Amino acid sequence: MIFSRPVATAAVLVAALLLGGCSSGDDPAAGPSGGTPVQGGEVVFAVDTEPVSFDVHVSQQDITGTILRNLFDSLVHQDGEGKFHPWLAESWEVADDLKSYTFKLRKDVKFTDGTPFDAEAVKVNFDRIADPATKSQLAATLLGPYAGTEVVDAHTAKVTFKESFAPFLQAASTAYLGFYSPKTIKENGDKLAAGGATGVSTGPFVFSGYTKGQSAEFTKNPDYAWAPKDAANSGAAYLDKLTIRFLPEASVRVGSLTSGQIQVAAAVPPQDAQTISGNASLTLDAKDSPGSNFSLFLNTSKAPLNDEKVRKAIQIGINIDAGVKNLYFGQYKRAWTLLSPSTAGYNKALENTWPYDEAAANKLLDEAGWTSRDGEGYRTKDGKRLTVNWPLLPAQFVRDKRDILGQGFQADLKKIGIEADRPQDDIGTYIANVYGGKADIADYSWGRAEPDVLWLLLNGASDPRKGGQNATFLNDPQLTEWTNTGRSTLDEAVRNDVYGKAQQRAIDLAIVVPIYTPTAVTGRAKAVNGLAYDGNAWPVFQGAWLAK
Amino acid sequence: MKINTRPARHRALRAVAARAAGAVAVLWGAATLAFFALALIPGDPVTIMLGPFTTAPQSIRDQIAADNGLDKPLFERYLAYLGRLAQGDMGESYQLQKSVAAVIGEALGPTVELALAAVVIAIVLAIVSAVLTAGREGRLRGFVTSWELVAVSLPPHWLGILLLTAFSFQLPIFPVVGVGGPSALVLPALTLALPIIGVLAQVLREGLEAALAQPFAVTARARGLSRRQVRVRHALRHAAVPLATLSGWLAGTLLGGAVIVEAVFGRPGLGALALQSATNKDMPVLIGIVLVSALTFVVISALIDAFQLLVDPRVRT
Repeated sequence: MIFSRPVATAAVLVAALLLGGCSSGDDPAAGPSGGTPVQGGEVVFAVDTEPVSFDVHVSQQDITGTILRNLFDSLVHQDGEGKFHPWLAESWEVADDLKSYTFKLRKDVKFTDGTPFDAEAVKVNFDRIADPATKSQLAATLLGPYAGTEVVDAHTAKVTFKESFAPFLQAASTAYLGFYSPKTIKENGDKLAAGGATGVSTGPFVFSGYTKGQSAEFTKNPDYAWAPKDAANSGAAYLDKLTIRFLPEASVRVGSLTSGQIQVAAAVPPQDAQTISGNASLTLDAKDSPGSNFSLFLNTSKAPLNDEKVRKAIQIGINIDAGVKNLYFGQYKRAWTLLSPSTAGYNKALENTWPYDEAAANKLLDEAGWTSRDGEGYRTKDGKRLTVNWPLLPAQFVRDKRDILGQGFQADLKKIGIEADRPQDDIGTYIANVYGGKADIADYSWGRAEPDVLWLLLNGASDPRKGGQNATFLNDPQLTEWTNTGRSTLDEAVRNDVYGKAQQRAIDLAIVVPIYTPTAVTGRAKAVNGLAYDGNAWPVFQGAWLAK
Repeated sequence: MKINTRPARHRALRAVAARAAGAVAVLWGAATLAFFALALIPGDPVTIMLGPFTTAPQSIRDQIAADNGLDKPLFERYLAYLGRLAQGDMGESYQLQKSVAAVIGEALGPTVELALAAVVIAIVLAIVSAVLTAGREGRLRGFVTSWELVAVSLPPHWLGILLLTAFSFQLPIFPVVGVGGPSALVLPALTLALPIIGVLAQVLREGLEAALAQPFAVTARARGLSRRQVRVRHALRHAAVPLATLSGWLAGTLLGGAVIVEAVFGRPGLGALALQSATNKDMPVLIGIVLVSALTFVVISALIDAFQLLVDPRVRT
């Protein structure tokens, strides 16, 4: 069997990982662990993907946000707990109807080309994002029903929306709504995707060089003095230089780290975790990614999954604990609800409420009328085999070995008499089938540090046939109402209530099967101190320093 | 032998003109094939470009389609593309906000550097190994031929990681991260060269053995040349001719190998660019890379023909 591994090894790994995970503070505000910060030095940070576009307002890739977080500041800062702190905005006021947000900006902020950061810069940037000519693939979505920005005075910007828009603060805390110098937008607005020195911003580092296919170089912005209120380092970065190296091959990233050629490696695969945690000069930082867990979405719009009993049977008929533990060496948490534990509104009460139960799954399928079995052991009803179509993404889109994880679940489903058909076609066919509602099961996660992600995944208006992501194809009045309520209030109690209920209902209706929490596992040399992680679990190098 | 009536210069010009016409035909064919092959991918091009996990609204999709001419019928797009191409314009990348010529121009240098280094290593090592073992029995030959078989059969991806693990991670001799400089080129070039050495050496050895069996080899020995002199001065020249037939294979292997080697070593270049544009469905860049590959093939064939003229008097009618 492909999953069988000595349990002892797994246990040692889990222990090692837990230790590794504890060695760095969860709270970005926590001070560096190893004494007084040292000025100077260079850190090489290897990542697995190279951004297609370096225009932070255009790109929809996580990697663009991860890397450019070190160049771009935001109006507000979201910490690891989901709380907001002043950053480029000293304070802010939200209108009662949530249709406008007024930001009082810091007066001492300058772009690295000398242009002052002011309300006009906020307006220029947000207007640029909202302009269809920019072809923004993500930032424009984050701006939601944006109506415009009013320059109240030089350092007061009032951002207005066509309708109530509660998720805006979180959106404003992301790098995607960061600020380019209005001067560079004017002069290089159509060249920012290409990366390099034209990407002028306010952040702790300056984009000094870029070699496509190899690396991006960031150098320290010595004038930086406007870190988030909760940052350990309030001033300029300690490092002189930060090099982002693109190494798509995981074993090469890990090998480069263990041989000391780089200091920080992103996306360390679970099987390499022990190599790093077993090395005295290295450590692992494992952070739950916020947003939605990797989950199966069951298409309720057609047979056989229009039958709740069959859906329920799938939900409890696959051995998620075993699959996740074996494949990821205990490194990724098994999930119990759509939201990841590090996301506000996480419904903890759902934990352990729907454990694996093969007998109960079989009973449900019997009740649903799938009582006879054919020659291969699959259940049939009226001569038709119980088959679910569950397309695989093309290989280049498969993350975290989810294809192999699926093989285990395929075997579990076979045990209860369900045939899982997993065709692997090109991406065009995949999109046409899954987003056209022709497939029975879709599987994905969705990273975003905001429970509004549930609107995207569960609201009736988020139809995949119209650009949405609700692959359950269910327009449930309650789920739609709750996710609408959540995005139109900032009242924490109300939001926790509706998002909690929505998560519960999604499990009760068995329209989703949460599998595991995507985890950002970063390997680093212990000499790199003070590395913080933002609300997205992305590393922030502003407070990082290199021990001598 | 035929007697020449026309002046040689005239003849050469005609030959060059025919070659150029052939090259244009090859390029047109390559562009057309690439264009329609990419158009055959099912689904709306903008949807494919954005991928499955996007929240981009319809207005943005329409804008992307309009800006890249994707809202027009396929044949119209094809004619427009050919028209621009005829003027030497390969178009603009969908996502990089740069002209295809500039994107490929930047990537070309590192790949040429890598490919040349690999070819030099491959040819030198293949000649050494063939000359040492042709026509001889013994342990050395057995070892060399079986090693060649292994080198040809190893997946280059795995070979690269193996070399890195041994000579960069365990023994810190060559850097993987080092930017530029000859030491950073050694392992990638070797990864690309090893399978080529395997094939070249086998073909060379066979050619050498055939040449050594010819009467002229005996004559040369009778004139007092040493075994080594016969091998290196006479037989090798004969053996080199069949290699020319491998030029197409060589060009293909180098370009295909570059995709893998550049990905493993995180090197810039055409291969890495091809991989990224294929993933992001950046059609203009992909077609541009196909064109550059076709052009490379044409140039290599021309060079090999010239080389054949040089080494083989029989083709110089």
